Amino acid sequence: MPRSEPVDRFRPMLRAGSARFSREAAQRPILVFEDVFKSYEQGSPVLRGMSLVIERGEFVFVTGPSGSGKSTLLRLLYRAETVDDGRILFLGRDVARLRADAVPFLRRNLGIVFQDFKLVPSWTASENVAVALEVLGLPPRLVRARVGEALERVGLGGRGDAPAAVLSGGEQQRVAVARAIVGEPALILADEPTGNLDPQLAIDVLGLFEEIHEGGTTVLFATHDRTLLEVRPRRVVVLDDGKAIDVPNGISSDEYDNRLPL
Amino acid sequence: MLSVTTTRRARQGMVREWRLHALSVFSLAVAFVCLGAALLVVTNLVAAQDRWAHAGRASVYLKDGASQDDVDALRAALLRVPGVTGARYVSSGDARVEFGREIDGRDALAGLPADAFPASIELDVAPDMPDTDLHDVVAKMRLLPAVDDVETYQSWTERLARLVRGGVAASALLAVVVLAAVLAVVGSTMRLVLQRRRTEVEVLKLVGATDAFVKKPFVVEGSLQGALGAVGAVALLGLLFLMVRGRLDSELAALVGVEPSFLPWPVMGGMVVLGAILGAAASLASLRRLVAV
Repeated sequence: MPRSEPVDRFRPMLRAGSARFSREAAQRPILVFEDVFKSYEQGSPVLRGMSLVIERGEFVFVTGPSGSGKSTLLRLLYRAETVDDGRILFLGRDVARLRADAVPFLRRNLGIVFQDFKLVPSWTASENVAVALEVLGLPPRLVRARVGEALERVGLGGRGDAPAAVLSGGEQQRVAVARAIVGEPALILADEPTGNLDPQLAIDVLGLFEEIHEGGTTVLFATHDRTLLEVRPRRVVVLDDGKAIDVPNGISSDEYDNRLPL
Repeated sequence: MLSVTTTRRARQGMVREWRLHALSVFSLAVAFVCLGAALLVVTNLVAAQDRWAHAGRASVYLKDGASQDDVDALRAALLRVPGVTGARYVSSGDARVEFGREIDGRDALAGLPADAFPASIELDVAPDMPDTDLHDVVAKMRLLPAVDDVETYQSWTERLARLVRGGVAASALLAVVVLAAVLAVVGSTMRLVLQRRRTEVEVLKLVGATDAFVKKPFVVEGSLQGALGAVGAVALLGLLFLMVRGRLDSELAALVGVEPSFLPWPVMGGMVVLGAILGAAASLASLRRLVAV
């Protein structure tokens, strides 16, 4: 298997108009998992030779039972974990070979949403969203404007000054989504984002991700909630026995093998 | 250069964790008070040493049998010495009266023998007269038959110099203690603060903050703690100094010849800068291992 050299910086060249825009890079799949192995305990790998290709602009559900490796797959992608073997190419760069000081630059190209929201309770909604732009060193006026737009987009216009701690679960998840999209990342990773929400709110939040996807953003949505998979006929990747099984038209389609563990 | 975001996060952090920071600042102030007190003593000892090193005076004590002719001849000879600007004869009786006036205790003098205060010639010496010249003159005067002893306050200055050296050594030791205290207090505080703001650090790292971006506000907080601790110590010492000075000013002035003075501005500034630097260093050291995400 070819090995890449460690990469010192993560600088995508995909935005048209950018000085570093590369047409070739823009035409490559946004995300490629090549024969990825990962285990936390010796002899019981979570992922064993998993391969997967995700094209630019796709909305993909990742599903599977608890412990199947959904979160691991995402954590490998934003480099909270490193692969034991194999490659993960994001925008043509091997994430697994990034040097530690390049990881922040990788994460600036991702929007990540978690089941437990990961908001700072003492910060206001605006501050929680703004932090994604402040790390880029953008001027405060621009940060304020873009935070306002992002909060409007998730339906929280006017709630920016409320401390995160006083928001409802649904509102908190919307703040987390606003934080994920405010930097206009190439890819949004959602790790069980509806896990703490009631069914109706879960559908609402899913709708929010779909709106974002309609704007051209690629979304990788990990969930074990079969209801969500059934209401939306989208591509589903089922993790089974450490490998990815592709169901291109969703679990409601004829191609779905009902023997798959869900 | 600190960004708006860094200062805002540091300010918010200090406001939200104000109890923890206040406790830390108080502990640091106590440590700095010890250092400041030692420096205050050293400052005043140095001033006294300087005062006596350039006293511009010497006392030539005469033997009991010295005649008026001996005294006049001696005075005339002394006034011809370059650097000697005045020579005043003080008889034994005059010395007794002068001393009684200074201590305001004529009754106490009654019990002293008549020869308790020898006659002397009080010399005024130019302040810029080199020590070596003065020593030469003193050595020659001691050989004269009418002279019993010569006091140039050199021994007093040497004792003060020894005290100053001791004070400087004590201050250096206290500086090491303060350094250890600052490292321990700020380090512990920042570890606690980091623990309480774990989510904040985690969020920052997940949105792509570099380690430097995450650390800066904590370093600013540590630095402010150190600086505020030193400022608090200076303020406390100043207050104590004002309270004590009112009562002991005249006694100390009479005893050592100088009025007590507070720490000079450069020393106070140095303590604050030292506090800020130590606080920042301690904070940085405690942040070596950030929350791993």
